[in-house]
Amino acid sequence: MRQVVCKTSDVNPGEMQEARFGELPIVLCRTLEGKFYAFSNRCLHQGASLADGMLCGAPVPTDTPGEYRYEREGQILRCPWHGREFDVVNGGQMLADPARCLPRFQIEIEDDRVVVVR
Amino acid sequence: MSKALMLEKPKGIRLVDTDIHERVQYADLLPYLEDPWRRYILDCEWKQEKHLPYTQPAIAGLDRADARLSDGRPAGSDLDFMKQQLLDSGGHEFGILTGALDPSPSSMNGWYEMGAALASAYNDWQIEHWLERDERLYGSVHIAAKDVQTAVREIHRVGSHPKMVQVLLPLDDTLWGDPYYHPIFEAAVQHRLAVGMHHNEPPVYYGKFPRYFIEWHTMIPTAHMMQVTNLVFNGVFEKFPALKVLMIEGGFTFAPFLMRKMDEQYRHLRHEVPWIKRMPSEIIRNHIRFTTQPMDEMNRKDFMRVIEGLESEDMICFSTDYPHWDYDSPIRALPSLDFPLKEKIYSTNAKAMYEKLPGGGRQ
Repeated sequence: MRQVVCKTSDVNPGEMQEARFGELPIVLCRTLEGKFYAFSNRCLHQGASLADGMLCGAPVPTDTPGEYRYEREGQILRCPWHGREFDVVNGGQMLADPARCLPRFQIEIEDDRVVVVR
Repeated sequence: MSKALMLEKPKGIRLVDTDIHERVQYADLLPYLEDPWRRYILDCEWKQEKHLPYTQPAIAGLDRADARLSDGRPAGSDLDFMKQQLLDSGGHEFGILTGALDPSPSSMNGWYEMGAALASAYNDWQIEHWLERDERLYGSVHIAAKDVQTAVREIHRVGSHPKMVQVLLPLDDTLWGDPYYHPIFEAAVQHRLAVGMHHNEPPVYYGKFPRYFIEWHTMIPTAHMMQVTNLVFNGVFEKFPALKVLMIEGGFTFAPFLMRKMDEQYRHLRHEVPWIKRMPSEIIRNHIRFTTQPMDEMNRKDFMRVIEGLESEDMICFSTDYPHWDYDSPIRALPSLDFPLKEKIYSTNAKAMYEKLPGGGRQ
């Protein structure tokens, strides 16, 4: 199945947008580098609409208690309810539990159109 | 509002949500306050002291990010939006309002006169703007509990309102089972009100705050355990046999452990509390209820193991904690359960506790 969901100009780098892929609610995430990713728009936990959350960075793992390094701006999708974090560029893995991933969809860019493929 | 509004209704059940936080702002209370209390807010920019040394580190602070209002007001401050996002989509038969953390008159650490004025204003505002505007909503009586006489007066003033169903006490740094506070429970019983206990910002580490929010939030159930233990061994339920207490937002999975521990201690040390004439677990089973939220992720087997530990299907009441960040979805938070347990948790346990709900009380 292939479906055009929007134009590339509809989503600015660092932002996200909800859409429909057939009947499925999806969230389109665009990193600061301009690359698109698509995931199910339902949190794995209790089904919150992830598009109502935030595309942001996160304090990355450090080796020293008390050390914070906020990095990866535009690559982390945070749930609007309980704040669970999903790694947009690494298959939608939950940062705290990488064995759990958001269902994801392939993206192809055709001219100025964003096409979701599954 | 979530652009993709989800149906949040458990199949075949109209639910009673035992923890909904309507949000008041100080400006809302001004019409209900007399001078000088009104002037302290207007002229001196008075606000209640804050306890936590951290923020709530979620996207929208204390709230669900999708519950914020587009005009900038905080989540929970608009009834129409709450209807749209929660009451109508959730299949709510009834919702119990439990107020917000700020102001929380009962947890003020001084200036109880101001606390009492705030409590009265809050109750009047709650009745006019919420309870009398949606038939599904029922309310909590706010009191400045550390000044017992004024607290009792306030319970008598508004406790007979047909839509007030409980007196609210905060879990903070006061143990409410002390006989000094018993007139509050007496007044609650007189008005057929339950007592709801909701944590405010309790210091959970030896009377202090741990270094990180994640520690504090993890340990909130310990504050609930302290209150349950205190109420039981101080004889509150022996003195007020009609009293029902709801422990709100501490979850319930700790209860089987605590009941067993208290029973064991009672077998050893009964002689210190000779006014206790039943096993503590029996007292808890008869008088105390626990809300579901915040739900741990549990499968059906894990959940049923807790029910077995409680030795009762009547002690757990569903709650969302809307609109806070750790909200629980009515259809996603609990594992799949069979009737009649499902109906009890979502509805009838709360109705049995809240005598003043339509269909409420012991059937």
